[in-house]
Amino acid sequence: MDKVWRVVDTGLRPAAENIAFNRALLEARQAGEIPNTLRFLRFTPSALLGYHQSAEQELELGYCRANQIEVQRRITGGGAIYFDETQLGWELYLAKPDLGCADMAQISRRICEAAARGISSLGVEARYRPRNDIEVDGRKISGTGGAFEGNALMFQGTLLIRFDVEKMLRVLRIPAEKLSGKAITSARERVANLADLLGFVPDTEAIKWVLSAAFAQEFGVSFLPGELTVPELVRYREALAEIIRPEWIDQIVRPAADMPLLQAVCKFPGGLLRASLAFDAPARRIKQVWFSGDFFVSPKRTVADLEAALRDVPLAEIEPRIAAFFAQAQADLQSLAPADFVAAIKQAVE
Amino acid sequence: MALVRGCNFPDDLYYDVEDNVWARLEADGNIAIGMTSQGCALSGEIVAWTAKKVGRVVDQHKSTGTVESGKWVGPVKAPVGGEIVAVNEAAVAIPSTINADPYGAGWLLKLKPADWERDAPALLSGAAAAEAFEAKMQAEGFAGCA
Repeated sequence: MDKVWRVVDTGLRPAAENIAFNRALLEARQAGEIPNTLRFLRFTPSALLGYHQSAEQELELGYCRANQIEVQRRITGGGAIYFDETQLGWELYLAKPDLGCADMAQISRRICEAAARGISSLGVEARYRPRNDIEVDGRKISGTGGAFEGNALMFQGTLLIRFDVEKMLRVLRIPAEKLSGKAITSARERVANLADLLGFVPDTEAIKWVLSAAFAQEFGVSFLPGELTVPELVRYREALAEIIRPEWIDQIVRPAADMPLLQAVCKFPGGLLRASLAFDAPARRIKQVWFSGDFFVSPKRTVADLEAALRDVPLAEIEPRIAAFFAQAQADLQSLAPADFVAAIKQAVE
Repeated sequence: MALVRGCNFPDDLYYDVEDNVWARLEADGNIAIGMTSQGCALSGEIVAWTAKKVGRVVDQHKSTGTVESGKWVGPVKAPVGGEIVAVNEAAVAIPSTINADPYGAGWLLKLKPADWERDAPALLSGAAAAEAFEAKMQAEGFAGCA
């Protein structure tokens, strides 16, 4: 008989509560108090920082305050996101020994590929894009991240059902000209949602079902709906008491000036290339880069893939990384050369 | 130096095999700690290291801070209990130093041990450490350090 894992749905909640549950369930799994668990969750409007990020560097805090958008810090890594009722969250709490592998990148891949299969069964072609995105035709539809504690891990993802791109641009400090038509178009080229792709808003229960089925198949288990237990609720109350305090959000504070948003527009014989980047100045590392402009590349998704490959890359390493990317990607650049992307980034930084 | 599945484990260090951390007894009695080469290989490229503050007292096997790699966040456990007396700010500023030189420039922090004699028996070194790492790698299906 299949092993049985638990599935819970904690419904629509403020970010602090959702994050307190992250810690509570991860600790409870590590302590052996709960079985492997799949949790579905939803958020009231929230701006969520990655664990090691600074609110000042990642968010438009004035806009968040004026629009009752709760700012919170996740316990998982990765970048800041805007999360509201139009998205569904999914999380797995697992004991590492049940996976038979301790390599974190492989664990991410396995979970993301299963999630992508589940999403695809709704009628879109979702794929895992390293390191931690699930995308449809180069556009991100689900971002993911993880945390571990001893022999337990939690891996979580978002799924964009409908999505307000303009709101995202207002909330996040990202390298795009704010709220220009171009920025919104650029963002739409990078972010997808199920409603736009399918032409209708899929039923949340159906989405939960396909994700559960995909994880069940991947891990050879069946899911049984369950309720939160007393030990989890005790841990949750303790975690919430810490997470609702300002000290939790302020534990990492870095000035926005240390992560400038830089831009360069370069005219090459093959076309116009604009590089917009968020740059970690003290570490001299690219946090995020967006390329746009007037040039030809096929397939179109190449640009999004290149942007994903350049996340967190030290400036000193961009030349070999970009060369390696194009050596591997089956892309037709026609007019531009890989070196042009290097030159545009360097010009933006200098 | 022991070499286990391509991962090196210097002989002069003490290892907490389960938590994949090392400890080095310094001349001044403090303990330098860091991640092992296998820990770095399992994590992949480290993009953040945030230590607890100098002055904080940490129990053995409890978290001294967190590392992030490939969007995973996890604790670095203290191989011995003690007070944090120094943090490697160079590794905070350029976390990839930890992958590049885990036993040297990529050390994480220093502890003033609460009771080295009490905590040290939980750690392994030399051939015993190598044997324990091999058994752990076997159990985890770990292919090897690149």
